[in-house]
Amino acid sequence: MARLGRFLLVPFLGALLTSTAFAQGEMTDVGTPRSETLIVQTFDGKVANPDAQNPLISYAIWRGFRELGWSSLWEMDTAKGVSYPELAAEMPEVLNPEHTKFRVKLREGVYWSDGVEFTTDDLDYTLATAFKYRDKLTRVSAYTSLIKSWNVIDKYTIEFETAEPSYDFQTAMGVYSWGAQFVPVPKHIFEPQGDDVVSFKNTNAVTLGPYKIKAFDPNGFWQLWERRDDWERSGWGNLGEPKAKYVLYKDFGPEETRTLAFVQNQYDVDTFMSPDSIQAAKGRNPAVQTFSATMPFHDMNDACSWGVYINQEKAPFDKSEVRWALALGLDLKQVGITALSGQFKAAALPLSDTPITDPLFYKPSASFLNDLTLEDGYKPFNPNFGSELVDALKAQGMPEADLPTGDAIEASFGMGWWKFDPAETEKLMASVGMKKGADGFFMNADGTPFTIDFAVPGDWNKTLQRLGFSIGDSWQKAGFNVQVRQVDNGEFNAVQNTNSKLELMLNWSNTCVYNSNWRNTWRVLRPENVKPADSSDPLTGNYLRVTDPDIFKIVSDSASLETDSDEFVKNGIEIAHMLTEGMQEINLMSIPTSIPTNNTYWTNYSKQDNFYAAPYTWWSSFKKTLVNIEPTGK
Amino acid sequence: MGVVQYIAKRVGLYFAVLFIGLTITFFLPRFMPANPIDGYIGELQSRASGSLTSEAIAELRDNLEQLYGLKGDLFTQYVSFLNRVVLHFDFGPSFAFYPEPVSNIILNALPWTLTLLLTTTVLGWALGNMVGLVAGYFHTRKLATLLEIVGIMIYPIPYYILAVSLIILFAYIIPIFPLSPTFPVGDISLSKIWLIVYNSLLPAMALILAGFGWNILSMKALAVATTEEAYVTYARLKGTSHWTRMVRYVFRNAMLPQVTALALSIGTVFNGALLTEILFSFPGVGLIMRTAASGGDYNVLYGAITVSIVAVATAGLVIDLIYPLLDPRIRHK
Repeated sequence: MARLGRFLLVPFLGALLTSTAFAQGEMTDVGTPRSETLIVQTFDGKVANPDAQNPLISYAIWRGFRELGWSSLWEMDTAKGVSYPELAAEMPEVLNPEHTKFRVKLREGVYWSDGVEFTTDDLDYTLATAFKYRDKLTRVSAYTSLIKSWNVIDKYTIEFETAEPSYDFQTAMGVYSWGAQFVPVPKHIFEPQGDDVVSFKNTNAVTLGPYKIKAFDPNGFWQLWERRDDWERSGWGNLGEPKAKYVLYKDFGPEETRTLAFVQNQYDVDTFMSPDSIQAAKGRNPAVQTFSATMPFHDMNDACSWGVYINQEKAPFDKSEVRWALALGLDLKQVGITALSGQFKAAALPLSDTPITDPLFYKPSASFLNDLTLEDGYKPFNPNFGSELVDALKAQGMPEADLPTGDAIEASFGMGWWKFDPAETEKLMASVGMKKGADGFFMNADGTPFTIDFAVPGDWNKTLQRLGFSIGDSWQKAGFNVQVRQVDNGEFNAVQNTNSKLELMLNWSNTCVYNSNWRNTWRVLRPENVKPADSSDPLTGNYLRVTDPDIFKIVSDSASLETDSDEFVKNGIEIAHMLTEGMQEINLMSIPTSIPTNNTYWTNYSKQDNFYAAPYTWWSSFKKTLVNIEPTGK
Repeated sequence: MGVVQYIAKRVGLYFAVLFIGLTITFFLPRFMPANPIDGYIGELQSRASGSLTSEAIAELRDNLEQLYGLKGDLFTQYVSFLNRVVLHFDFGPSFAFYPEPVSNIILNALPWTLTLLLTTTVLGWALGNMVGLVAGYFHTRKLATLLEIVGIMIYPIPYYILAVSLIILFAYIIPIFPLSPTFPVGDISLSKIWLIVYNSLLPAMALILAGFGWNILSMKALAVATTEEAYVTYARLKGTSHWTRMVRYVFRNAMLPQVTALALSIGTVFNGALLTEILFSFPGVGLIMRTAASGGDYNVLYGAITVSIVAVATAGLVIDLIYPLLDPRIRHK
């Protein structure tokens, strides 16, 4: 019996150890040399349809498609906020004073991964198909509503006419922040599909970027990319040689296992790991690094900002006094420490505070914020928010070496936020007849209970979920009877899109001003996008529920201005100030994005002190990281 | 009651359960706070910066309503739903993974769930019952107490703690299993089958251990009670061996509730093992249901719920039909 046991046990253990060695040795578990493979955690986790790779219909933008597989006419330099040509040979040539006609020249010598040349025929086919099947193709709405007509001049030249003046043609048809809406498809692959193109999966897609798909997991956990031998003649081969021969996008599972795998050097770049897990990983593996060596440690340069969106059309939120009372009754310092360990950058204007938006919008608004006075004479802005946060963190025992000092405080924690002043909150509420009842909560003017429904993302966005509960707690203490309601993704969209369903919610969708072109996000602020307070019709983008005709006029007038002109930027600042004066949205902070990296196999990632591109693996600008990283030789 | 009557009654009940379950599944989404079509169009509008024309929206809405079976009045939709689901196993496309058919998503995940969970459920049941039987039959001996202690120790451990402990122990401290599996792709070969088995061992171990404790304790309690029965005493006085009494007298009589529990466990296997699939990155139905629930992918959710309803009802039917074979008392009635 014992002999039989040994007979069975020995090969079993042998096989186990062999498999383990295979998994943790020089090769990756997908059979590529680890030293030549950059491994990143997927943004979207496991997907159910990894074989769906048709960019006209499906969500084939994650797992490397946007960064490695596709290519766009113009890309965004995310370090500077400036567009540059990628498939195009130059910036679009404007053909008429109304800015509705454009000539685009393509770079010559660009080839698809199967060796067929990329030309205007591909653009022509992509556009014609998008227009022909626009009721069935779900990824074409952005540019089919922009383009009126187009005309192919020759193999490398195409002219466009837009439905309305387009001063941001290069970002509308190229990349504004995270990726392009317009993704050219190969005519020679798609055209033979005929009408079936609306259900064509395009599995093992022919790509235009310097990588092609080597393999993918049919269960949707991973996708492996291999650098093309002819990467130089790919869509962005002119950017330089991508250093990693292979790029593996993989979902390493829940945070528990991801953290352990990161400590074991099983992958190189993570996405949205929680501060606690990063701290634990750093403690066990010195190769693990955050975006910044000091607080707030993480990248704060996302295009969008987090804020409390308010249904301004619904009483009593239609009164600016109530909205200001909510802002001044929120202890953001404590909320940020509780929910985010203090790792956030406050942003008082309704947009993110980044190295790009700071000189454009925030710095010119310093005196506006400091001088801002409410109708009762109260000055709500607290320019010392950052230094007070530093003091609070010190008091909690955070090492001083981790905290910024001097001017770095503003760069790290923002130029200020609103005062936390429950007394002023009470005063403002009293001014509209809303006083506290015996239970300590504010009541409506008629004496009935005043309760607030506050929708926050559920498990699908844990950081916002945590932030939402912390805000709810802070407001409860200030006397607001807030019910924090977790919603799934579907209901989140419904609350966002429907007036009758919204009172307050945590959101980011309308506060995504990335560079001077504020119209990219605020062009939805127009009279047609206002609906009655009890309407159950879906909104069309005005999630802030702005009703101010003056704002609508500025948005409309700015349509005929160059998006980087002084006047255009001035108009954007004016809108930001108008939204702030009426506290039409309680903007909270730049989105804190944790992108820890592991230096074991690759170095020279984009960091605070080496910022050459947004460090996000799911933005198309990740291509800059691929040409800048260096192998360690391990 | 005749055999035909008995079977007809059970089968009739089975179809009634299915009908009620499917009807609830149809009406449930109609009471949800979110209208998926509006949500989807809102998302497209947002992507187009609110510039879609009302004609374009109407075209899209028409197309989406067709796709998601939302055309016509409620009764027409209901008939169409039953027709699609019952006759064609068609739940329409997924919202989150549009335009992937829900049936494809579920059918891709089911083999993984079934292989892992059926194996571990049956193994956990068999091992637990064997140990429980021995512990119950020899309950006066010290070894039996020891076996019971094993059950008592394992049973109360929350599954999450048990699974994470196994991960830390066997994938981190002694790294003989992967932290997150990488299942091989391409044509199947012996080495790939081994890799699949190897990658499934840790979640399987967690599931077996989780089911093990309860089976030990319940079988032990049943076996102790059965051992005291007069017919077991009679068998002992007749001079039968321990083995014969334990297996043929005690086990056969004690196993009926355990068989019911096994059959019901097998029915719920179709739900997937949510925590297992999340923690071990195992590609089954549970993970799909979780993604669908958090992403508002109602079609996938209802598809998975329907599969679950059919599975649990079928398991119940199978129990009802095989019970007379296992228990002569029911056969006699």
